[in-house]
Amino acid sequence: MTASLSSDIESVLPMARQRPPAGYPIDGVTPRVAFRPETRDEVAALLQAADATGFTVAPQGSRTTLRLGRPLAAYDVALDLTGLCRVVAHEPEDLTVTVEAGMTLAALQRLLGERGQYLPVDPAPDDRVTVGGLLATARAGAWRGHLPAARDLVLGATVAMPDGALVRSGGRVVKNVSGYDLHRMHTGALGAFGVIVEASFKVAPLPAGRRSFALRCTNLEQASELAFALWDEALPLSALALLSPGAAGMAELPPDPYVLLEAMGNDAIMKRVADAVKVRAVLAHASGGIETDSQPWARLRMAAGGNDSVVLRLGVPASQVSAAIEEAEGAGCTAWGYLAAGAVLASAPTLPPEEVVRLRSYARSLGGFLQVESADASLRADVDPCGEDDALLVRALKAQFDPRGTINRGRWMEAL
Amino acid sequence: MRISLPFRQHATPRTPLVRALEAAVGSAHVLHLAEDLLAYEYDATIERRRPDAVVFPRSTEEAAACVRIANEHNVPIVPRGSGTGLAGGAVPAQGGLVVVLTRMNRILELDPRDRIAVVQPGVINLALQEACAPHGLLYAPDPSSQRICTLGGNIANNSGGPHTLAHGSTVNHVLGLEVVLPDGRVTWLGARQLDAPGVDLRGLFVGSEGTLGIVTQICVRLVRAPEAVRTMLAIFETIDEATEAVSAIIRRGIIPVALEMLDQEIIRAVEPQLHVGYPLDAGAVLLIEVEGLRETVLEDEAAVIGVCRELHAREVRTAASEDERARLWEGRKGGIGAIGAVSPNFYILDGVVPRTRLPEVMREVMRLSEAAGFRCANIFHAGDGNLHPNIMFDELEPGAIGRVLDLGGQIMRVCVDAGGSITGEHGVGLEKRSYMEWIFGPPDLEAMERVRVAFGGADRFNPCKLLPTGRGCGHAHATELLRHLETPGVYV
Repeated sequence: MTASLSSDIESVLPMARQRPPAGYPIDGVTPRVAFRPETRDEVAALLQAADATGFTVAPQGSRTTLRLGRPLAAYDVALDLTGLCRVVAHEPEDLTVTVEAGMTLAALQRLLGERGQYLPVDPAPDDRVTVGGLLATARAGAWRGHLPAARDLVLGATVAMPDGALVRSGGRVVKNVSGYDLHRMHTGALGAFGVIVEASFKVAPLPAGRRSFALRCTNLEQASELAFALWDEALPLSALALLSPGAAGMAELPPDPYVLLEAMGNDAIMKRVADAVKVRAVLAHASGGIETDSQPWARLRMAAGGNDSVVLRLGVPASQVSAAIEEAEGAGCTAWGYLAAGAVLASAPTLPPEEVVRLRSYARSLGGFLQVESADASLRADVDPCGEDDALLVRALKAQFDPRGTINRGRWMEAL
Repeated sequence: MRISLPFRQHATPRTPLVRALEAAVGSAHVLHLAEDLLAYEYDATIERRRPDAVVFPRSTEEAAACVRIANEHNVPIVPRGSGTGLAGGAVPAQGGLVVVLTRMNRILELDPRDRIAVVQPGVINLALQEACAPHGLLYAPDPSSQRICTLGGNIANNSGGPHTLAHGSTVNHVLGLEVVLPDGRVTWLGARQLDAPGVDLRGLFVGSEGTLGIVTQICVRLVRAPEAVRTMLAIFETIDEATEAVSAIIRRGIIPVALEMLDQEIIRAVEPQLHVGYPLDAGAVLLIEVEGLRETVLEDEAAVIGVCRELHAREVRTAASEDERARLWEGRKGGIGAIGAVSPNFYILDGVVPRTRLPEVMREVMRLSEAAGFRCANIFHAGDGNLHPNIMFDELEPGAIGRVLDLGGQIMRVCVDAGGSITGEHGVGLEKRSYMEWIFGPPDLEAMERVRVAFGGADRFNPCKLLPTGRGCGHAHATELLRHLETPGVYV
């Protein structure tokens, strides 16, 4: 079987694109073969060959985020996209960039940084994620709700389909409503319908400066009130988090409840934010507006992408973020939340499935949701990691775009 | 005036479709007489096609019932809001049932602490803005038609507006949607918070121009109103200088929240009617707005003024009061309507180009218009590179319409050749189906068709819209292009 698979695909890809499959395990399963194509046409040809011969393909970039979605039902071919890492177009004066999907966010930020620009996204676990992975997983970070996310910044994409077609949608201009936004359908879809090979983004000028403040509180409720007061001031904040004592410890702050915030802008903005933080802290009897470096954010970001732990993301109303943190802590998690996004992240070394189900019911009772962001295969098989899709529509789309279940079979639902 | 009712009823008997609809929503909320249907033949374009019936559901359940009834009677369904669309999106291209959502006009929830609102699709954009204002919040997308357009229509078209430059289009502000799918099933796409898990069906649905279903509830995010706003009017001798200034402002890393251009033709149409203070002898003006903290808007204002002066602005004025600011915006938002007073007819275009290509594209737009013998008035979202040339003409002049459409096509081609798009905010609708092939190849269009099939709306839900092909629609071609004539309430 392996021999026939290799020979089928060797006819479309040069031998030099093969990689040792042992380097591409997912959930402990090693694929039969692995390929690292270098052009979009090679990606399309590989997909077409696999689709025609009935083999399943799992696309991957930096392999930082492989514990999302259900466990794969079959895994024949590893499709390593890091060979597609070229800049297609950077138009600094238009604030747009088009790059191949295997480029890392770090490389993209370096490119943009040379022209005083950046892509304002901070996905877990860090900037190692590829552009394709950034879109396919649609993970947001602490900036979400204050700054646009990848799904808001993507202007268009080219996607390789199982039938070998390369499909474009959107474009490279910052405003565009021509046709269906297929690039939005692929954002967050974990490769359900095709493999993103290129994407265009709206970028932003780098802020003049960035400062973070940590406010120590006596309890989460007080922290929440303080955070709301700051949020209501129309300050140019880029992040506003509530931390449980455990989460504060994880962020290498003293183990107390905290409000952690970041602002971006010039000196005048920074002075204003610093003053506001000071005043609010005094009014709330919190212990000062201690300025901190950006390390706590990096640690939270890493924790949100933890590959050795269970990580859950709860969507809840902003006013329920502190309550949801306490609920998750009660279930044995370390939890923190972002007010503007209505997001609570909860991390635990392990978690029984019934606790995940219970927390999901809790989030739903508040009009929210729960997504499993990271967990081992058995938990993701026991509990639907996403849970909120219109399954009939997703199934119908999958039937249209990947009827044989060639890409990431089983990720969305059994047998798909 | 209603006359000889018995005769009319005799002339237009109730079809089984109409009787079923009346049973579902009440006879007061179904139109079927030819005279009544007239108003629903067209939107803000003037392509006309008479529907078989028009229905006004009051609830999700009624909307779903209407869809099921249309399916049972095998007629097409066309969702409709206020009918301000500028691409023929609400025209019942194959007749059938027009479902008007304007009776579903309640704001169901507005939670200032959580900063969300849940509304029905018939709520007027401005009504939501007004409901948010006392809480110091705003719903960011502000199409120029906001006094009349519905939020359901904004979802269908992924509407923009002047403030899209900083805040993004409608899709960036919609958290979740309740929709009636083409088979009559009701479902929620997205959630009440950002980044719902799974496939982003919400993001796919927004901008689908009523081809994938009917929106019956919308959950949106609200943002904090800025502490301070400065609105400037920069006056230039030529369009060229104004467009160069647009690029220069962005190049300096200043992103205003709005950056709009009005040329001399527009100024001369607007000023005598609205008296907003635009100088009649200017070649073009830029309306520039910055917002933020009190301290920083002054810095941004100074920087903008500096750039405009370097780029030969004759004068830069800042609105000294909220009243003055409102008047400057009134001129912008009423600009298109004002053209109606100076030209018997006009044709509104909506193209996008990379911002840096604006100066050369505008020169080409003016050259082509002149060569074709038409005056062209420009009022548009310059900061986004989103053009709205308005070709002025008189439909009574023999052959004029054909030449106008031809010119429109040439201008669209210039946008595409500059690396742009055929529509930035008005949608593809009926009007631009043929242009889709200029920017997308067969695999792209086929993939889009698959979405329509997956949602179950392939043939019956708003047929002949968005994609260049469709059963019974024929293949779109240039002669199918629509005429945009002067109608009351045309905005961009």
